[in-house]
Amino acid sequence: MASLSLQGIQKIYPNGFHAVKDFNLEIADKEFIIFVGPSGCGKSTTLRMIAGLEDISGGTFKIDGKVMNDVEPKDRDIAMVFQNYALYPHMTVYDNMAFGLKLRKVPKDEIDKKVREAAKILDLEKLLDRKPKALSGGQRQRVAMGRAIVRNPKVFLMDEPLSNLDAKLRVQMRIEISKLHENLGATIIYVTHDQTEAMTLGTRIVVMKDGVVQQVDTPQALYNTPCNLFVAGFIGSPQMNFMDAKCTIKGNDVTLTVGKHVLKVPASKKQALIDGGYDGKTVVLGIRPEDVHDSQAFISNSPDSVIESTIKVYELLGAEVFLYFDVEGTQMTARVNPRTTLRTGDHAVFALDMEKIHLFDKDTELTITN
Amino acid sequence: MANTSELEKGLNELKRLTGITLAVTAEDSEQEQMALEQIRCLCLAYREKYNKNDFLMGLMTGGVPSYDVQQRAARLHIAPEENRILFLIEIKEPDEIIGEILKNLFPSQTKAYIVPVSKERLAVLYPFHETKDSKDSADEHARHLAHAIVDTLNAEALAHVQVSFSQMIPSLLELSGAFREASLALKVGKLFYPEQTVFPYNELGIGRLIYQLPVSLCESFLQEVFLDKIPDKLDDETLLTINRFLQNNLNIAETSRQLHMHRNTLIYRLEQIEKRTGLDLRQFEDAMTFKIATMVMNYLHAEKEKNCTAV
Repeated sequence: MASLSLQGIQKIYPNGFHAVKDFNLEIADKEFIIFVGPSGCGKSTTLRMIAGLEDISGGTFKIDGKVMNDVEPKDRDIAMVFQNYALYPHMTVYDNMAFGLKLRKVPKDEIDKKVREAAKILDLEKLLDRKPKALSGGQRQRVAMGRAIVRNPKVFLMDEPLSNLDAKLRVQMRIEISKLHENLGATIIYVTHDQTEAMTLGTRIVVMKDGVVQQVDTPQALYNTPCNLFVAGFIGSPQMNFMDAKCTIKGNDVTLTVGKHVLKVPASKKQALIDGGYDGKTVVLGIRPEDVHDSQAFISNSPDSVIESTIKVYELLGAEVFLYFDVEGTQMTARVNPRTTLRTGDHAVFALDMEKIHLFDKDTELTITN
Repeated sequence: MANTSELEKGLNELKRLTGITLAVTAEDSEQEQMALEQIRCLCLAYREKYNKNDFLMGLMTGGVPSYDVQQRAARLHIAPEENRILFLIEIKEPDEIIGEILKNLFPSQTKAYIVPVSKERLAVLYPFHETKDSKDSADEHARHLAHAIVDTLNAEALAHVQVSFSQMIPSLLELSGAFREASLALKVGKLFYPEQTVFPYNELGIGRLIYQLPVSLCESFLQEVFLDKIPDKLDDETLLTINRFLQNNLNIAETSRQLHMHRNTLIYRLEQIEKRTGLDLRQFEDAMTFKIATMVMNYLHAEKEKNCTAV
């Protein structure tokens, strides 16, 4: 397997469209890297530049220390799996997996060995004689993966491979891909717009927006310490709650005012506001839905972080309940215990876990506290 | 005589192609050579006449008279009346395995025909069955298929490909129109939307309008927009600034953040662009005019390059 290095990678199309800007990333051997971001953020373009399917407009791309900018795709030792995969309809699973190798004139016995090995990894051994129309969606997807695995490449590139599957199958296939990474010990770069896929699969995640890398970190670090408003909002479902808050610094006391609610900033967060000179300024306060509490015990222990509102929507998901309500015109979500007695239309009191709040500069949208 | 075995081969080939059995009587080797040449020409003529690729290529380029279509289609077992969509595939680095992959992606049972158009281009005439797929989803079906072609060739051949497709046609008689549509979609798509890989004929947007305009009209438009200050080519930094600004819906705060510059620097740059071009990009009308003007400039630039290459 291989390590990859992307330094100052740019993609500018002839019509001036700047798709990827100054992309820097070092990918270690056997890493599972996820490129995530909204549609049109440049993640697929970056993947295609790594594959050699798009020219690199600027910067240096290396595999195992060797510059690859002008190396032909077929000489880069990579294999790709795409969203719109198509199996050869008249071929069996075995032939579908073997076809690419046959085209490259690989000896028959070697093809047989590789196909059977890949079939074993993907649990397709019993299906090798079947035609695609006799396979389920998940099995077809595994065959598509098999076509990449038989090549035994240094790097696997996957571009939204699960996007065409239904929700249940996607969950199953996520587990399969995770197992596959463990079994193959391969370097994998995986593109998705689905943050759940990103969080569950990746060892590290690259969050992109408008062709610019926003943050590169482990799933946990991205969730706990987002570097800006975009990452904070993009990672996590339901997404983080945001509200404008006016910062007031009086001596050693720092408070945030949201309409009629005054929230006391804990010691762990206030120094950044003092040092940044935020007194009198408006900042963006972010808090995850699970850090908004409705339990009486928590509210009693946190009198300086209480907010009140009326429940707009009550959503029971079985193991948890989502409560939707407005605070000073901003919609908020609380993820609470299903035993809650609150229902739609009820007047509710919540307490924010102020140790878990995130504060962002309103102009730059960068984090103040992380 | 020296050519006897060649003559025999030629006669066998002729019989195979046409079912006609001929015998040759030659008095000397010169006459035998002449007969051999005539048989070869006859074989070639029949091959051309009965070759599916030649027939379909002839239809696409308008080289088959309409009165001949039904008969030749019947001889080649091609249904003349059937709903079809024409896909045009352009390959950056042609490789013989691409044809092989497409043949297997569209095996003979699918009744799709693969026609080599040039070294870099292949056409796929694909039947659309209304019984299987609802009529409303013809475009969706074609789009999905186009993406499947791109993704399969990307993954299997590691080749950069772009695919365009025509609207649905009900008869082979309309194949030349479908070919024109797919060719136009590919040209316009590559010129105005190079970041995309699939170009449907019915989604070419403003690029379709510009592409159909005569060069003189485009030049007049640029003259009107920029007066005598037509920028031959804007520098990369200016282009980047403008594109970002347009991509961000004329939002100064967001653009300056993305470009890592102070908002005043961005405003200064936009004012410099206004000085150079007379267009205030912060105004929607001017921004729209500028966007169209840059597309026209790209088009003229491509036309110039095409003319230089032709010369």
